[in-house]
Amino acid sequence: MNHVELSFKLNGQDISIQILPNTLLVDLLRDRLGLTGTKTGCRQGECGVCTVLLDGDPVNSCLLPAVKVAGRSVTTIEGLATEDGRLDIIQERFISEGAVQCGFCTPGMIMNAKALLDREASPSETDIKKAISGVLCRCTGYRKIVQAVKSASEAKE
Amino acid sequence: MKEKTDKKKKVKILTKEKVDLQQLFKVPSMGLAVAGQSVARTDARQKVMGTLKFGADYAQEKFLHGKILRSPHPHALIKSINTEKAKSMPGVMAVLTAEDVPGRNGFGAIIPDQPVICSDKVRFVGDGVALVAAETEQIAQQALERIEVEYEILPAIFDPRDAIKEDAPKIHDKGNLLSYNKLRKGDVSKGFAEADTILKRTYQVPFLDHAYLEPDMCMAIPQPDGTMLVEGPMQAPFTTRRNVNAVLGVPINKVRVRQVPMGGGFGGKEDSPIDLGARAAVLAWHTGKPVRLALEREEVMLQTCKRHPMIMEIRIGAKKDGTLLAFEGVIYDEQGAYASLGPIIPPAGGSHIHAMIMMAGPYEIPNVKVDAYLCYTNNPYGGAMRGFGAPQVHIAHEQLIDELAEELGMNPIDIRRKNGLKQGSATATGQVLDQSVGLIDTLDACAKAFNWDEKYRQTGYIDKARSKRRGVGIGMGWYRTSIGINADGCGANVHVHEDGSVLLFSGITEMGQGSFTVLPQICAEELGVRLEDIRYVVPDTDIVPESGPTVGSRSTTLMGNAIILAARQVKESILAAASEMLDVPADRLVAKDRLIYDTENSVNSVTFKDAALKCMQTGRRLIGQGWWTPPKPSLDPETGQGNPYFVYTFSTHMAEVIVDVETGEVDITDFVAAFDIGRAINPRLIEGQIEGGVAMGLGYALMENVVVDQGYIQNKSLRNYLIPTSLDVPDTRSIILEVENKYGPYGAKGIGEMPNIPATPAVLNAIANACGGRVRSLPADPEGVFRAIREAGGPPDK
Repeated sequence: MNHVELSFKLNGQDISIQILPNTLLVDLLRDRLGLTGTKTGCRQGECGVCTVLLDGDPVNSCLLPAVKVAGRSVTTIEGLATEDGRLDIIQERFISEGAVQCGFCTPGMIMNAKALLDREASPSETDIKKAISGVLCRCTGYRKIVQAVKSASEAKE
Repeated sequence: MKEKTDKKKKVKILTKEKVDLQQLFKVPSMGLAVAGQSVARTDARQKVMGTLKFGADYAQEKFLHGKILRSPHPHALIKSINTEKAKSMPGVMAVLTAEDVPGRNGFGAIIPDQPVICSDKVRFVGDGVALVAAETEQIAQQALERIEVEYEILPAIFDPRDAIKEDAPKIHDKGNLLSYNKLRKGDVSKGFAEADTILKRTYQVPFLDHAYLEPDMCMAIPQPDGTMLVEGPMQAPFTTRRNVNAVLGVPINKVRVRQVPMGGGFGGKEDSPIDLGARAAVLAWHTGKPVRLALEREEVMLQTCKRHPMIMEIRIGAKKDGTLLAFEGVIYDEQGAYASLGPIIPPAGGSHIHAMIMMAGPYEIPNVKVDAYLCYTNNPYGGAMRGFGAPQVHIAHEQLIDELAEELGMNPIDIRRKNGLKQGSATATGQVLDQSVGLIDTLDACAKAFNWDEKYRQTGYIDKARSKRRGVGIGMGWYRTSIGINADGCGANVHVHEDGSVLLFSGITEMGQGSFTVLPQICAEELGVRLEDIRYVVPDTDIVPESGPTVGSRSTTLMGNAIILAARQVKESILAAASEMLDVPADRLVAKDRLIYDTENSVNSVTFKDAALKCMQTGRRLIGQGWWTPPKPSLDPETGQGNPYFVYTFSTHMAEVIVDVETGEVDITDFVAAFDIGRAINPRLIEGQIEGGVAMGLGYALMENVVVDQGYIQNKSLRNYLIPTSLDVPDTRSIILEVENKYGPYGAKGIGEMPNIPATPAVLNAIANACGGRVRSLPADPEGVFRAIREAGGPPDK
């Protein structure tokens, strides 16, 4: 199989990379670009821990051929904090509200929360539950995650 | 968070809810500075940034990729294996069969009855028949397809009751009854003779999967000195090590096992790292190269242990007033193909004996008889899963108590208050509970927060169309801290440095539960420093003392005590140095918040750092080692009587549900869970355990079920093995009570496993209360509830 050149915006930076056309976005991010904050739990689009933002919308990167992001903008968990280590408010509230346990679903949860808060400034708890319902968490029972997102939305206002 | 206390009852309640429990609880604070605080997790920042490296995040270039050829049959003889075609493929570095295992061809947490590579026969779909290591995962996968195996299919067994019939085909040479255990307290025939009401029921639960989000993986990396390094997400590095060393045929000190961050465990990663560790190590031993063995989700479902299915037959006898007189139970506990964590480790270790001990519930019953059969079958195998035999039997006894209450016309809360364990009660094993028994306190606190009395009166149809009914239910429970074996010791090392910084060495692993935060909190509290002064060294068998496995809700209590003992050795030096520096006797000094001061003149102080430097300069000991073993467990093998576990956590859950009687759908509309946990070292982390545990318990009640048909799992993905999502769980309200455990660090006892246990029966009882149909064979999915309603003669009229 021949390599193709893929150009897109990743966490605000323009990049170009030679890839095999059947490469999945998650493998490009994790194996080629070393961005292992995006996890894989099922590789079937069921668990949501591989969620990244594509032009601001949450997508399962395990289902998306990387060539589909050509010319578009991808944000991963690594793109949320500033370079000097200042966390996004959602990340901060995940810590302070105790929304993190094993941490394996955390990036996927935070990316879904980010997409929600970017389009809806003050979501209801039901909105939040719906927005994160595509990500499975086996540790927390979701309550503190919902509280963290709520708290982040209130802090943003 | 509000704190309310009760001096007389020595119970403290921590709750965020607007509930007035002031009359019940009031106690003075212990004056703890770091322990007892809801500090943020030490690993949270890395986790929210995505910078924490899990096993699968390690760069893969330097590794060979391992793959396992699995049996396609539940029970068969291996007639021949031809690996030539696979071996000749470019990029394939090793294709191994049974004779290639250098040491013992068997592993297991308790009994090494599972072959690293099967030699003569396979016992379940998923058994390992050959191992491959190749340059890429793809090549390894292709190599598997070129291995030719000839099988002779054997008759197989899929029901534990069939397994122990005399003419049953033998799955293992020693027969299919892996363990038979019995419990005899009092005289059940006398108890039943005196009973006014006797009820007999059978309850059944299926295989469950842990469904941790991180698939299992393991890395084996040969070291230049001949040592084998094994790394992976794991709960039990020491158990893994003692299997890998035997499989390689080398002494224990030639294997080094290191935990990498774990994306959930729930008991499952006690067992699977033994399997993957042994197999990866064999491949690494043969190739001399690092080998990575990482499972896909489907392989996780196929290969790793599950929660044991059980068939539980029970008879209970009571007086008219609800006093329990006799309990008789039979457990058919399905082990599946291999022993894993099922069989007994005397006196009271292993999941099977634990189920037997817990079966009569947290009740004082004078006459109890339990017969428990642990049977091999050709299904996947049962191992440890959050509760270790206890969730299953709680589903039985808690439903039975409700069915009995209904028969007697009693409120389910009253029958529990009457018979529930209290201080001085004797359990089914005859253990007299002399301390830390807060069961009834949890019942009272839960009822008050839930508003049980009112809600219990308001059940029935809630809509004009008469399709939806509301109901409420209780689940009460108990769970041990510790694992009931003599070898339950825990070691910790504490190193203080001359700048006041501290290294804490322990073998307790982090799987999300928070031990890397809670244990440093205890260390900081004892030394009188801040949490950020402590660095917890990641468990590594070359570096940390033997600590046993991270299981049995034992970490905070057992390791906490070991850490306190270790810290005290160093603190003795620190106080001696400070005494010299301040010219004050050491017994007048207190260490707190990085300062050591004279209790009679608090201005007279020296910093912890300066005292540590002084210790260093004067040759005083700055290294402490603590070792703590719980009070000796006992259990008579003939009678099942004794003191198997030294302390128990108690809990009551209450659920409100709405059942659609036309579709069988269940919606949980309110949930309160109250716990007596002795002492909360980190209340917010405990809430996290509660909320997550309850969600898991609700999954068990309503949807989770590994469907196994003739040995073949039908739902191997998260698409059809369903676990609760954010839309399925209620906003669980947690209540934390503290009835001090005199053997625990600052009075603490375990919490990890307790929360998911009573949640399941609370929901099942609420469903029955709502619609009249009782689901005795799980799960209570819409189909199950619908069927139960029909069996009950349709939905109630009123």
